[in-house]
Amino acid sequence: MSRPRALENIRVVDFSWVRAGPWATRWLGAFGAEVIKIEWPENERGRLPSTTTPQNLEVNLNTSGNFNDTNVNKKSLSLNVRSAKGLEIAKRLIAVSDIVIENFSSRVLHRWGLDYQELCKIKPDIVYVSMSGYGHTGRNHHYTSFGPVAQAASGLTYLSGLPGKPPAGWGWSYMDDTGGVYGAMCALTGLYHRNMTGEGQHIDLSQMVASVPLNGPALLDFTVNGRGSRRPGYPPGNRAHWPGTPLVNNYRGPTVTPHNAYRTHPGEYNDWCVIVCHSNDEWQRLVEVMGAPSWAASPKFATVAGRLRHQQELDEQIEAWSMTLGKYELTERCQAAGIRALPVQSAEDRVEHDPQLRHREMYLEMEHLALGRRKVQNTPFKLSKTPASNHLPSPLIGQHTQEIVEGLLGYSHEDLRAGFTDGTLWPVKRARFPYMEEMLR
Amino acid sequence: MSDAQSLPGPLAGLRMLELSNETGQFCGKLFGDLGADVVKIEPPGGEPSRHIGPFLDDIPHPERSLSFWHYNTSKRGITLNLETADGRELLMRLAATADVVLETFRPGFLASLGLDYEALCTQNPRLIMCALTPFGQTGPWRDYLSSDLLHMAAGGEMASSGYDEADVPNAPPIAPGGGNAWHTGCHFAYMATMAALVHRSVAGQGQYIDASIHEACALTTEAAIANYIYRGEVVRRQTGRHHAAGPTPHTQFRAKDGNYVCALVAGRLTPKYIGELADLLDTNGMAGDLRDPKYQDPVVIAANTSHIIDDLVANFIASLPAEEVYHTAQQRGFTWGAVRAPEALLDDPHLHDRGFWKEVEHPELGCSFVYPGEAAIYNGSPWRISRRAPLIGEHNVEILCGELGLSRGELSVLGENRVI
Repeated sequence: MSRPRALENIRVVDFSWVRAGPWATRWLGAFGAEVIKIEWPENERGRLPSTTTPQNLEVNLNTSGNFNDTNVNKKSLSLNVRSAKGLEIAKRLIAVSDIVIENFSSRVLHRWGLDYQELCKIKPDIVYVSMSGYGHTGRNHHYTSFGPVAQAASGLTYLSGLPGKPPAGWGWSYMDDTGGVYGAMCALTGLYHRNMTGEGQHIDLSQMVASVPLNGPALLDFTVNGRGSRRPGYPPGNRAHWPGTPLVNNYRGPTVTPHNAYRTHPGEYNDWCVIVCHSNDEWQRLVEVMGAPSWAASPKFATVAGRLRHQQELDEQIEAWSMTLGKYELTERCQAAGIRALPVQSAEDRVEHDPQLRHREMYLEMEHLALGRRKVQNTPFKLSKTPASNHLPSPLIGQHTQEIVEGLLGYSHEDLRAGFTDGTLWPVKRARFPYMEEMLR
Repeated sequence: MSDAQSLPGPLAGLRMLELSNETGQFCGKLFGDLGADVVKIEPPGGEPSRHIGPFLDDIPHPERSLSFWHYNTSKRGITLNLETADGRELLMRLAATADVVLETFRPGFLASLGLDYEALCTQNPRLIMCALTPFGQTGPWRDYLSSDLLHMAAGGEMASSGYDEADVPNAPPIAPGGGNAWHTGCHFAYMATMAALVHRSVAGQGQYIDASIHEACALTTEAAIANYIYRGEVVRRQTGRHHAAGPTPHTQFRAKDGNYVCALVAGRLTPKYIGELADLLDTNGMAGDLRDPKYQDPVVIAANTSHIIDDLVANFIASLPAEEVYHTAQQRGFTWGAVRAPEALLDDPHLHDRGFWKEVEHPELGCSFVYPGEAAIYNGSPWRISRRAPLIGEHNVEILCGELGLSRGELSVLGENRVI
C-alpha cells in the first residue's frame, strides 16, 4: 500500500516558465500535489534553448536534461491562454484547483484577465503566488530579472569574491533556485492558512527582494554600526579575514583561521579542500594530523590572534601539506580527528564520489520517454509519514492535454480535436508529436 | 497593504519550539516573522551563536551580536538545561503545547536524553519535529563536523563560483557570501515542515522530518548537475557569471564610478535587439556602428559578438555610473542590474514602496534599528517582524510561570540549580 502524501488532493495550476517558477512547483509535486503545467510551444522558455540535451539526441522540446530535472512531478497541458477559448479552459481548470502560481513579469496575468480579483471570482479561496522579478508592488515592478540580475541588484553578488578584484558573484542563478524555493514556501504557507481559515490570498513574491534579507548581518552592520561592505579586505574570498586589513567580522561566522580552500593532490581543476578551525583545540588536532611539523610549533601560530596575524604564511604551510593528499583522503583524516574539512565537489564528484549523498539516495534513476533512464535530484528531507519523492518524470510538452481537457474538465473528444485544429491546444502550423496524433484518434 | 498589516500572520496560532544553533535559527525566524509563536530554547547563558559578530559598536557581548539579532527576530526566548532532569521535564511539558519542534543537535543527542520524537509525540501525536542537521540522521558523514564554508565546498557552490583565468590567474574556487549554507538548509526545512503542517491540517497527525543541509546545498547549483548527468560535462568557473562547460561572453562590466553592472546580452543578439541596444547606447551617444544595416544579418551579428559586447556595451557602461546604467537599461526593457553593496539597498525607492525596511524597537537600549523585512507581501495575512531577538531568558517568567504554572520560588530554585 502506498503511503499518503502531504499534498494529496491539492491541484496546482502552474503557468511558470524558465527556471524559478518550475523549481517551485517541482517541490509541490514531490509532496504529492497534482501540478498542471500550462505551456505553449510558440513562446516556451525552459525546454528551449537547451544546452543539456545529450549529445546523441536531437535538440527539441522534449530533450532538455535540465528541463527534465526541473520539471519532474508535473503534467503538461499545451494551451494557448492568449485565445478566448484557451482562456476559458484555463478558467475551468482554476475553478477546480487550489493554487495558481506564475513567474511572469508583473502585469501579464492582469493583461490576460486573470489578476487576483478575477481569480477570486473563479475560485474564491484560491492561493495565488506571483513570483515576478521585482514583485507586483513598487515603482520598479515592471523591471525584469533573471537570477544574476536579482543577485547583482540585491547585494548578493558583491559579497562574493576576492578583495580588490571584480565581484566573483555566484556562478549560476542562485536566486532562480532560491527564488523557486521561496515560491514553494509561499504556496505552502498560503495553503496552510487557507486550510485553517478558509481564506485564500495573493502572495506577491519578488526574486530580487527575497535576496536582500540573505545579506542580513552585513545590512545590520550598516544600519546599526554604520559600517558598509565597501571596505578594505572585503569580501575576503574564502577566508574569515583578509591579511593586512582591519580586523572586523566578515559575516562568515567566527573570525578564525585556518579558514580557506587549499589545493590537494593531484592539483587539478577541482582538487581543493576547505579546512576551518573554530578553536585552539581544533587547530592543535590539525597540527597532529599534519604530523606535527616544526613550523606549526612556532609560538606565532599558538593563538588565534597570532594565526590571524600570520595567516598568509599559515595558509602556505597548510597547502604544502594538503598537496600531498587527495581531497577525500584529507577529508577523512581530518574528520576522523575532529577537524572541520570537506572537499570542493564538482557535479561529477557529487553524483559519483560523495558517499553521503549516495547513502541518502540523492540521485535516483527515473525513466523519461525521450531521455531514457536518468538520475534525478531527490529531496533533501525525509518525512516519516508522508515521504516526498519524485514520482513522475518531466512531462513531454502537451503529454497530458487529453487527460486534463477531457478527463478532468469534461470536454468532449470532439472539443479536443477542435482545439488542435483551431490553435487552442496546439499551434495549427506546428508539427504534432506522435503522442498527440495518438490522443486525437 | 495597511489593512492587511493589522491582520494576523499566516502562521498565527502555531507554536514552534526552536532548539537551534546558528544552522537552523533562520528557519525559526521565518516561522516567527510569518506569525507563529516561536519559543527559542537556549542553554543557560545563551546560545553560542550569540558570540558571532559583528557586534553593536564592536563590543562583543551575547546581547550585542547583530548576526544573532537578524536571525532571531519575532521569537520569545527561554533558557533550559536539557542535561538536567528538571530541564528535560520542562521541555516535555512545553512539547505537549507545541505544534512544531525544530532541533539542530547532532544526530542521537536528543535520543540520548530521552527526548527524541518518539518520546515527545507520545503525549502529543500532532507534534511535528524537524531535525535539521549538516548531513542528516544517517550515513557515513552523519557525525562529520561542518561550517558554512564546508557546505559551500561539498555542496558544489564553490566549484561553480570564481574567476576567469584572465581576471585572477590560478584563482581558487570562491565561496559566495557567508550564511548561505544555513539559509539553504533552512529554506528546505521550512518547506518540509509546512508540508507536514498542511498534511496535519487534513489528517490530524504529526510526523518526524530528517532534513540535511548538505543535500539542500548539493541541489542548489542550477544546471551543474544536469550538465554532468546528460552530457558528462563538468562546468568551469567564470567571473561574475554562469559556470559553463566552455567559455561564454562577459556579462559583468565596470561602470564609470568603479561599480559593476551585470548586463545580460549574449544569447539575445537578434536584429531587433541590436536596434534596441543602439537606442540604449545612444542615450549617451555611444551606439558606435550598431546602426549599420549589416547588423540586420544574424551571421554578421554572430561574427561581431565580441565587438558588440566587449567594445560597445562595455564602453557604454564605462561612461556612466552603475545605477544610471541599471535604471536606464531596465526602463527600456533590458534585463540588467547594478552590482550593489548591501548598504546601497537602503536607498532603493522600490524597496521603500514595498515597505520593506522595518524599524525594530530595542527597548532595553532605548532605540530602534532598521532591519530588512519580507521576501513577499501576503495580502491577506502579513509577514512582519513582531519583535527584536529575545534577550537571554527574557521570557522565562512569562512562559515557565505564566504558561506552565511554575511559582516564582520554583523558578529561582531552577536558576540556582542551573536548570535555566
